[in-house]
Amino acid sequence: MNAEMLYALRDVAGVPSHPVTFLILGVLTFALHILAVQVMLGASGLVIWGALSKAAYQRQLAQAMLGVAKIAVSVAVVLGVAPLLFVQVIYDPFWYTSNVLSAWWVIGFIVILTVAYLLMYFFYAKNHHLGTQKTICPGSMILSLALMLVVGFIMHVLTYQMLSPDQWMQWYAPNGEIDASGRKLHDYNLWRFGFFISLSVLVISGWLFAYRHYISHRTDVDNGYLQWLKGLATVLSLAGGIVALAFGIGWMATLPDSQAGFGFSPWVGLAAVLISLTAVMPKLIGSRVNAPLFGYGLFGLAAITVIVVAIAREVLRWNILFGDFGYNALDYPVNMDWYSTLLFFGTFVIIGGLVLSYFLTVAWQAGQTEGVYTPSPAVTRLGNLSILLITLWIIHFFVLGLWVWLR
Amino acid sequence: MEMLGLYPTWLEPMVGSGWVVAIISTIHVLASHTSVGAAMVFAYLAVVAYRQDKPELLDYIKKYGMFLLVFSYVIGSITGPGIWFSTTVASPRGISALIHSFVWKWATEWVFFVIEVVGVYLVVYLVGKVDQKTHMRIAVIFGLASYTTMLIIIGILSFMMWPGKEVWFTEGGYLNGFYGANTFAQLAMRTAFMFTMTAVVGGIVASGIKELAFKKAMLRRLAVLGIVSTLAGSLLFQWYLHTLPEQAHIVLENRLPDYFQPALMMVLSGILAYFLFTLVMPRLIVPAIAGVMTVAILVFGLWPEEVARESIRKPFVAGQYVYSNQVIARDVPGLGIKSEIPLLEEKGFLQSHVFLPENLRTVTPDNARAVGHALAMTACSNCHSLTDTGIRPLAKYFGGNTDVGDIKDYLLGALATGNTLYMPKIPLTDSEAEALAVYIGALKDDTVAENYAATRKPLAQAGEK
Repeated sequence: MNAEMLYALRDVAGVPSHPVTFLILGVLTFALHILAVQVMLGASGLVIWGALSKAAYQRQLAQAMLGVAKIAVSVAVVLGVAPLLFVQVIYDPFWYTSNVLSAWWVIGFIVILTVAYLLMYFFYAKNHHLGTQKTICPGSMILSLALMLVVGFIMHVLTYQMLSPDQWMQWYAPNGEIDASGRKLHDYNLWRFGFFISLSVLVISGWLFAYRHYISHRTDVDNGYLQWLKGLATVLSLAGGIVALAFGIGWMATLPDSQAGFGFSPWVGLAAVLISLTAVMPKLIGSRVNAPLFGYGLFGLAAITVIVVAIAREVLRWNILFGDFGYNALDYPVNMDWYSTLLFFGTFVIIGGLVLSYFLTVAWQAGQTEGVYTPSPAVTRLGNLSILLITLWIIHFFVLGLWVWLR
Repeated sequence: MEMLGLYPTWLEPMVGSGWVVAIISTIHVLASHTSVGAAMVFAYLAVVAYRQDKPELLDYIKKYGMFLLVFSYVIGSITGPGIWFSTTVASPRGISALIHSFVWKWATEWVFFVIEVVGVYLVVYLVGKVDQKTHMRIAVIFGLASYTTMLIIIGILSFMMWPGKEVWFTEGGYLNGFYGANTFAQLAMRTAFMFTMTAVVGGIVASGIKELAFKKAMLRRLAVLGIVSTLAGSLLFQWYLHTLPEQAHIVLENRLPDYFQPALMMVLSGILAYFLFTLVMPRLIVPAIAGVMTVAILVFGLWPEEVARESIRKPFVAGQYVYSNQVIARDVPGLGIKSEIPLLEEKGFLQSHVFLPENLRTVTPDNARAVGHALAMTACSNCHSLTDTGIRPLAKYFGGNTDVGDIKDYLLGALATGNTLYMPKIPLTDSEAEALAVYIGALKDDTVAENYAATRKPLAQAGEK
């Protein structure tokens, strides 16, 4: 598959803004998506660990993490829509080909994810009081996590196959005979997959510190539980960091020959430093973890680490597709459309920012309030403004639409 | 060498890739319409609960909300991207055309989708934990954001059928593609039927309410909502039909089965009868009945509607410029798009297709069947199953005729010239038409390919000498 063929596969309509916009948004939204995935995986692991244990603190944590895992799946799905959109915009030749070549698994992804999520809800429905009552049907949660890992692996393969245009024809028509069944997963790298999965241990440790700090203000939480959480999160961060680094080294060591030096690039170096820092930070700061800056900051550090990892991943993809195959995603023809571009950024920044600030403030405060929470006038104004702005958005939709239709 | 940017083909032998898309889409429509409708009903109930001090309505919201989380926000939110996935593997250039014109609109919808998902959790989990007025405010934001996602997707779906304004072809522009009569007619119709689905699915939860008086009251509210929305939807459906272009009407009249219209009327009548029964005898409604009704709507209402919608845009799959077989069928000067038909007429599929093994680029007596198979996958399989099952099996369209010459004549006379209603123009070269004819003939009779090779080989060898 040469560059001319890859360029021929590009969509003939071009893109409505400069491609770099989609590249940046793709990296950022992927980072947020994978962060939610890692929280979900880490929380699910802790749920199973606690559900199979008789220790009170473990079970108490399992109950809390079950709620986290359930919501994290939703968040991961909704956040995953964005990178899925942007990858189709500038990497369409690679994404579509990879998907078609493993089409059966692409459809399987949807079915398996649905089953995995329903199993998690089933476990939740059966175990509302995990902290105090015997675990019912732990197998459903174990199977749910196992299936989540399967869908993760499918997504890993789809992303990985994108990077091998030189092998596509061999996969599609081995020995000149077309195999259009889409039943095969053609290529994978367990080091790379293991790296992203193992990061969930590091991420969930940061999450546990944040969770610990969040509940520390409540009067119904005992101090022993908080101390135990601190110890657990500290161990997890160290272990997660070491495992992630090991997988990361394995990944870099198994890159194609043309990219053999990438492991020594600045982005990989920065990612390695951040992973190490996130891993040892709880030990370094000691008792200062009780301060809000560190309590929540550790999760923030983990999030920054994931963003840098996402950037490094993108740089690697760029290096392979441009360096090895001559495909430049940034020279995609542009059919500039200012209206839809500005509408997105306006909606994203103003409405998205405002409404989510309101939602998260209310949820945060309500969680820390014993009894019924009534927001302050300032927070309420934020809510009213949210309603006003969405209403204006809807009015704009109809007014503009009718004008275009009737003119 | 100028290449045609066609992707590999995915061949699903049992039902065909088109039906895989249709199945996922139908499930998604049920789940997503229910979620949007429920979001708006929640907003209404939250307002009533606050203004009339009826906390029991909030209990209903919580109960329905938990159900909704599983029904709509697990199944709905996964099958949503699931449609992308399935169309990606079934019709990559079709979904690509929509993505590349409307990426920002989809991204904007995503913002509201995030708000919606966070909103539904707050609406469900904050009942009793925040004051009623705040809960009402959150429910209203949730309802508005949810409806906004529908506003956006309807415009994209309308473009998929027909770009909003004819001028889009010459001038381009997102607004010209997005807005048109069909956009608003479809929006109005879907909004009405969205409440119908909400009323049916809401019945599953309402019918399980233990307190009889509250159960009756909720079911009656839902029944009224269902009756009004079904009647309104039926009227708006007529408006929708009125906005369809002439080509779609021709397809409707000629390609859909005769029983389609009467069956549609029966489905609508059945739904109305169910709501009237609910209104009069709410006590007798139990979750199982409401559940069966939900499945009935899925199978007898949404499935035919989705299939019909898929049919009437033929032979195109997106924007009236991408054929179902992924070939760009016309110029769109507004976006600098050139038709690929001239390239095909000049070089044919075999010399221009990116994903074709080299041994199939030239037709020989020995490989004619394999080349024909590759061509059938490329040019036909999006709409015609290549096996006996699935959507419109290809073999059934030739009346059992296995004569290679006859089939080739048809392919060159009716398809390559674009003179068949409902079918794309497929400009096969002479040798391509012959190879495809061998393949089609062999679908019914295995010996066709062998006989063809046996008779053509000596001729080919003589030609070489």
